[in-house]
Amino acid sequence: MSTAPIHAVPAEQLATVTFDATMEERIAELLTHYPTKRAALLPVLWLCQQRYGWIAPGVIEAVAARLGESPAFVQGVVTFYTMFYTSPPARYVLQVCETLSCALCGGKELVEHLKTKLGIGFGERTPDGTFQLVGVQCLGACGSAPVVQINDDYYENLTIEKLDAVLDELAKGKEA
Amino acid sequence: MPKVTIDGIAVEVPAGTNLIEAARLAGVNIPFFCYHPYLSVVGQCRICMVEVEGAPRLAIACATPVTDGMVVRSETSPRVKEARDAVMEFLLANHPLDCPVCDQAGECLLQDHSFSEGRDTTHMVETRRTFPGFERRLIGPHVIQNQNRCIHCSRCIRFTQEISETAALTYKSRGNHAYIDTFDGQPFTDPFSACAADVCPVGALTVREFRFRKRAWKLRSTPSVCPGCSIGCNLWIDHHERTVYRFTPRENPAINATWLCDYGRFLADSLNEAHYLHPLHRVDGQLRQVSWGEAIRALALDLAAARTLRVVAAGTLSNETLFLARELFVRHLKGELVVAVHEGEPRRMKNGKGEWLRSRDAHPNSEGARRLGLELVGGERLARFLFGAADLTIILDPTAHPYLATEEALQLLRVSPTLVLVRTDHPTAEVASWLLPVASLAADEGTFTSSGGHVQRFAPAVAPAGEARPAWQILHLLARGLGVTTLDLPSPAAVFAALAAKDKPFAGLAWDDLVGKERSSYREQQHVG
Amino acid sequence: MEPILLRARGVPNSRSLSTYLAAGGYEGLKKALGMDPDAVTKEVLDSELRGRGGAGFPTGRKWTFVPRDHPGPKYLICNADESEPGTFKDREIIEYDPHLVLEGIAIAAYAIRASTAYIYIRGEFVRWAAILEQAIAEARAHGILGRHVMGSDYHLDVWVHRGAGAYICGEETALIESLEGKRGFPRLKPPFPAVVGVFGKPTVVNNVETLACVPSILTRGAAWFASIGRPRNTGPKLYCVSGHVRRPGVYELPMGVTFREIIEEHCGGIRDGHRLKAFFPGGSSAPVMTPDQIDVKADFDACAEAGSMLGSGGVIVLDDTVDMVEAAANLAHFYAHESCGQCTPCREGSDWAQDILDRILAGHGRPEDPQTLLRICTYASQGMTICPLGDAFALPISSIVKKFPAEFERHIAAATPRPPKKLPVLPWAGPRPGFDGQ
Repeated sequence: MSTAPIHAVPAEQLATVTFDATMEERIAELLTHYPTKRAALLPVLWLCQQRYGWIAPGVIEAVAARLGESPAFVQGVVTFYTMFYTSPPARYVLQVCETLSCALCGGKELVEHLKTKLGIGFGERTPDGTFQLVGVQCLGACGSAPVVQINDDYYENLTIEKLDAVLDELAKGKEA
Repeated sequence: MPKVTIDGIAVEVPAGTNLIEAARLAGVNIPFFCYHPYLSVVGQCRICMVEVEGAPRLAIACATPVTDGMVVRSETSPRVKEARDAVMEFLLANHPLDCPVCDQAGECLLQDHSFSEGRDTTHMVETRRTFPGFERRLIGPHVIQNQNRCIHCSRCIRFTQEISETAALTYKSRGNHAYIDTFDGQPFTDPFSACAADVCPVGALTVREFRFRKRAWKLRSTPSVCPGCSIGCNLWIDHHERTVYRFTPRENPAINATWLCDYGRFLADSLNEAHYLHPLHRVDGQLRQVSWGEAIRALALDLAAARTLRVVAAGTLSNETLFLARELFVRHLKGELVVAVHEGEPRRMKNGKGEWLRSRDAHPNSEGARRLGLELVGGERLARFLFGAADLTIILDPTAHPYLATEEALQLLRVSPTLVLVRTDHPTAEVASWLLPVASLAADEGTFTSSGGHVQRFAPAVAPAGEARPAWQILHLLARGLGVTTLDLPSPAAVFAALAAKDKPFAGLAWDDLVGKERSSYREQQHVG
Repeated sequence: MEPILLRARGVPNSRSLSTYLAAGGYEGLKKALGMDPDAVTKEVLDSELRGRGGAGFPTGRKWTFVPRDHPGPKYLICNADESEPGTFKDREIIEYDPHLVLEGIAIAAYAIRASTAYIYIRGEFVRWAAILEQAIAEARAHGILGRHVMGSDYHLDVWVHRGAGAYICGEETALIESLEGKRGFPRLKPPFPAVVGVFGKPTVVNNVETLACVPSILTRGAAWFASIGRPRNTGPKLYCVSGHVRRPGVYELPMGVTFREIIEEHCGGIRDGHRLKAFFPGGSSAPVMTPDQIDVKADFDACAEAGSMLGSGGVIVLDDTVDMVEAAANLAHFYAHESCGQCTPCREGSDWAQDILDRILAGHGRPEDPQTLLRICTYASQGMTICPLGDAFALPISSIVKKFPAEFERHIAAATPRPPKKLPVLPWAGPRPGFDGQ
């Protein structure tokens, strides 16, 4: 499985955002799926997160202007959902499931191991910017607990050894 | 019309009425937080639960329209009491015990409903959730936020989305950690920002200008009309011991629903300014204090002798003042009178139907002046009017038009004797021969006619400062001094009666019918502020 | 029972359209297109298919709520938000048989006369959203979706719409709000989505598994479907088993097998010589069941009679190593995290319950805590809230408190008082009368 790293555009470059032609094209296409512009908000935000790595305030303003909403409204939507990053993420975001089945089947031990190995807690990132640790709720893969989602990819049936191997590969800059 | 019975009281209400409003008509007060008669229904707070006969579960009154024959129990239902108690306990679980330091105390819906629930204990022993850094946050020029107090009713957000249409406020995050904020923490610059503090049922959003100044239960509320523009929003002057502390909105579905714009609202403090307290007469270049008696006697002689008399009135004056001015100065003394109009910033207000009313007229009573048949003039015409000498020039409100503060105007006024009615410091005082202290709107009584044609009464809240008199009263004194018995009308009511009898646009209007409701207790209307 | 929903699991290249067509795929849609839409609804009604998303509402009946003469447009939404703890069946279907889902969507949309369908899929399911997009592209290219579905006069657009991390968006009205581009706040009902749904238009929201049942109902008939299981609890069911069993996973079984059969036969029993202590029958939002209930049939009515709910069919199995108070605390965290925050009882109650349970686990439990928890749960459910998330946290937590009182007692008996908060000491500069000898 190859997990692509996130390339987060630095905040200074996102103070004012203008969508390039490709983005505009894709936004225009998305707008054809819905009878209102507002309904395209989540897909457009995903587009922006894929393009910029995170949703900076400048991105919010650009999206708001494009869809005819107030920036406050868009920011309200962005902060409601847990998957939109409102600050630049690390290259690999380790989203560890904390809910019942995973917790009962080795999830807790996995979390402790990660905290020790990486030297960070939930919500923190390693100093070199490679890994960020996030506790998430049920990922919908309970039968293959414990589960960690790294960026877009699910890593299931994990053991400490398997996870270590994955992280070591990712840290080396190669894709696992 | 459907008939519904609430706690045994039957009422007939229009179809589509929700149970909260129906209950209000029956005299039953169902508690609510998130409901507001002029905002969308969200059913979030869950305190307005009632028992509807035939339904297995309790219903929320705000979202339940009446049906004919419905039988509802609110205060007579133990299940309802239990449910409301539980909701109150949930709300108070994390709400800080800020009452001693919170401005909302005395007009707080949470206090009101907690008090009527009557319980003094809670099972909550956990650490309350707090929002560090959000306890006294100035989020805009007029609004201070204390997020710890927020009960998440979403009224403020709905206000900015549905009424002021700026959508400047939003929830951020979710669950019990949700909080109210603007985009990126930027200033809350909505022209109606203080209304968000009004609609907040608790002290989570409060008005900066009022912070810590006066306890709400000390305030008396007197019905009045906003002097900020010609739309004529209804308001309460909240005052205590001769000081005006604030304006709060007074409900009028035809004009301003339950809203006030920030500009009009914050004119309140200006009503406390009183620079001139006594009649003054300029003799040999020096201002000398005189008694009212002396002033009236001397001015009456000057008026009787004057062959040329010119009067500058304004749309800031009441119908009663303008009527007396016209009758005395024009009809009786054969002088000339113009009404200065001033185009200000564009103002707007949303009425109860959701329609925008607009105005560029900075004065509340230009329409009244128009309907009294007076000539309305702008700055240029005003300059020509004041050109040259006259035996007496009277400026009834120098603050009404910026031209009157200019050097050019002062030069023109210097030329001949001038009488100016003043309250605040104004350049015309330097050139006037006579200065008579006039009372503010808060110490005055009369009517304004809004641009929409509503004739609205305003009542006096405080006594005038020093020896100041309301403008209509000064004119009445002058009329008496001149022996004009037909204008010996000793009250605004009497003046209005004379006005209504004489002028067709006012025909049929009765002073008593124009009254606003005086508030009996300090907060009887749950939904305003 | 031959697999229907997971027929494609193990089949090479199962996701491709050609494989699907070769196995008889889209025959159900073809048949439906030749019927009157109301006849299609009747067929599904007769099959007694009940919603597999958690509520178990009769699917055919839900379709009849859409007003026939409404000018439209009408919408069909496939709920692929799958966030209920213990549930992982929808992605299984999508992984192996995305066209089965699309066919179900198309038939349902046709039956309610919808011209647009959205698949609302949880944001975390990136791979499965891509699988569906791929399948839709294939179907469009072959004239199965888009204008003139399979050459008929029926037109249908299907769009995939990704969520972004919110369990509450699995609730149908919160899903609709999210689809409209807002925060996922559930709506007040009435009005119901079938009358006023997405964009204010008639909308039916159906779960992935529910829709996946529909093609076979068309091809093999309602009677065949109803012959599996028992009356009002019909058809094949995907049981997701997780927790302390030897072989966790998704099992397609006729609705109504017992939990014993699921846990002991199919999943190989409890792991490593431990014993069953408790299990959740249908996701975590149901009252917990105890070993004496293992012979209850895993269907809607039997679980309801046993005081719980089949829900999504996500069976979470807990063995004797589990501290039930810890399990309750884990779930309280989940619901407090996922509460949308609109209404008072759920917003305050879930957070409060989480705090109490955390404090008990930290060793500072108080004797009144179980009572307080029950009080919180009572007033956050049974219509006190806007949506069933209140019930979703109240049912498991209150059932754990009621069924495992000894575990709470053990924690509380060993508890010590919580150390007092260290408050900042403010410097006092002046004399204090009465304290300083004055």
